[in-house]
Amino acid sequence: METQRISFGLFFRHFLILIILIVFLFPIYWMITTSFKSSEDILTRPPKFVFEPTLDNYRFAFEEADFTKFIRNTIIVAGLSTILVVTFGSIASYSFARWNPGDGHIMFFILTTRMMPAIAVIMPFFLIFRDLGKTDIGNRFYLGLDQPGALVVAYTVFNLPFAIWLMHSFFQDIPMELEDSARLDGYSRLQVFFRVVLPLAAPGIAVTAIFSLLFAWNEFLFAFVLTRDDARTITVGVSSFQTQQGILWGPLTAAAVVCVVPMLVVALFLQRYMVRGLTFGAVRG
Amino acid sequence: MSTNSAVYQADSDLKQTARAAPKKQLISDTVYSVLLIAPALVLILFFALIPLGYAINVSFRFADLTSPRGVDNYVGLENYHFVLNDDFFWEAAQRTLFFAVIAVAVEMIAGVAIAFLLHEMRWFKGITRSLIILPLAASPVAVGLIWRNMYHPDFGVYNYLVSLLGISEQNWLGDPDLAMYSVIIFDVWQWTPFVILITLAGLQALPKEPFEAAQLDGASTWRVLRTLTFPMLTPVLTLVFVLRTIDAIRLYDAVFSLTSGGPGTTTEVLTYYLYRTGLRFFRMDRASAMALLFLYVTVVFTGLVMRRFMRNIAARTRQMAS
Repeated sequence: METQRISFGLFFRHFLILIILIVFLFPIYWMITTSFKSSEDILTRPPKFVFEPTLDNYRFAFEEADFTKFIRNTIIVAGLSTILVVTFGSIASYSFARWNPGDGHIMFFILTTRMMPAIAVIMPFFLIFRDLGKTDIGNRFYLGLDQPGALVVAYTVFNLPFAIWLMHSFFQDIPMELEDSARLDGYSRLQVFFRVVLPLAAPGIAVTAIFSLLFAWNEFLFAFVLTRDDARTITVGVSSFQTQQGILWGPLTAAAVVCVVPMLVVALFLQRYMVRGLTFGAVRG
Repeated sequence: MSTNSAVYQADSDLKQTARAAPKKQLISDTVYSVLLIAPALVLILFFALIPLGYAINVSFRFADLTSPRGVDNYVGLENYHFVLNDDFFWEAAQRTLFFAVIAVAVEMIAGVAIAFLLHEMRWFKGITRSLIILPLAASPVAVGLIWRNMYHPDFGVYNYLVSLLGISEQNWLGDPDLAMYSVIIFDVWQWTPFVILITLAGLQALPKEPFEAAQLDGASTWRVLRTLTFPMLTPVLTLVFVLRTIDAIRLYDAVFSLTSGGPGTTTEVLTYYLYRTGLRFFRMDRASAMALLFLYVTVVFTGLVMRRFMRNIAARTRQMAS
């Protein structure tokens, strides 16, 4: 075959890919190096590629701007909403894959709610949580404005449709015969789900969980509108370095690194499943 | 031979009897299946229908949260009338369309081309694929702010890099003629990897036989692409196109962090205008009317293009269940 031969074309192709890779990775490289520059080194002309690294920006972000709190909030909110999404999403998705209640219409309705632009529902969400915060239940579950519960609920609602569609393809891959023979062996429907189906769908559930985490971690608009200070998350924290007096580039870049790098690591491990996750389970990578 | 088939016969008889007379169940399969979807559905319905109902209600009222009247009397279709005659609204809609068409076109062409290049790679394929998808995982707001620094007219790295290429320095985000293109470049950086990744998966899933046959027949590369590769890739490319378009129309984070809609209103897309009307000027009535129009267009678009895709999945389920 032609592609088997080592030729000039083959080398040229790899060289081209290398250039493309550099273009795509350069902003990430620039972000990471800038975060270690002193504030003088950031504002130079021409920009410095070689410099004396310092941790001042990180020190500022964590000591002056209370970035620890933002990270803690993000972990709580993203973690809890992921648990809820996986719990409710997996049983619903299994039901759709096995019995298809509503003959596709309910599942399609669920998908359309995911297509809603967040900005179109953000104002009613704001008012719902403002009112929930004044009730007893709302107080008990921290569902008011600037409380983590409100974000947990918002992210759960927004990620559920995605989770149901993604897991659907994994549940469909499990042969029906396995379930049937488990039933013949005397398992109840619940036992079939927990002992036969769930272990086999474990990769799908893991992928869904990690994607829910990724979305919640990177989400900005809900966090921006529904929180003010106590429940503020990491993305809003990064943008808060744009102050009235100007942009604090050093601390902002350090904060951006703290926000972005963990998710880059997640993506590297998730690589195998990215395709399936990004297409709602429609394309198998 | 005959004993074997007799055993199979007996076995399938046994299975059939078992199926015909299942153990006594308190609830039927139908009720069980509905119970399983209930928690998710209740949550989604509650948080989809209440905001919808609220928005519909407010869109027919006067609602200015900065005035003492607050949410006030019904005004009929006045808000819709206002929005549909609002020049800012139509300009924002035009900008949204412009952004979506250019960004998605560039991403599709570049993404498919790079995917073909990657597919034919012999060394470092796995690591390249892992590295090239990294922009996808980065929070758009956080990296958007980094790009804002890189675009800076005085000490930004991009002006330095283009000056090395002999191009004059630009005011990337401050020049009204250039700002929208700078936002598009950012979006292309973040989302081309998505097109690459999915197209590559589609390419790798192609069956080998037709291509080997075409090679034996001595078909030209172009002919193979036109008659085999692209037709077989169409479903995957359609899905990528639809998902990218939906996301491009909803663009918000990048505009927020890069330009805040400026300079002037040159990068103010619909979502950003909506945000400004509702959460900066607190005209909830007009914002709600706008949000509903926007929602209607997106859902109709999604409905039209995703329906076929959804039907396929439903058909597969039915096939398996029978």
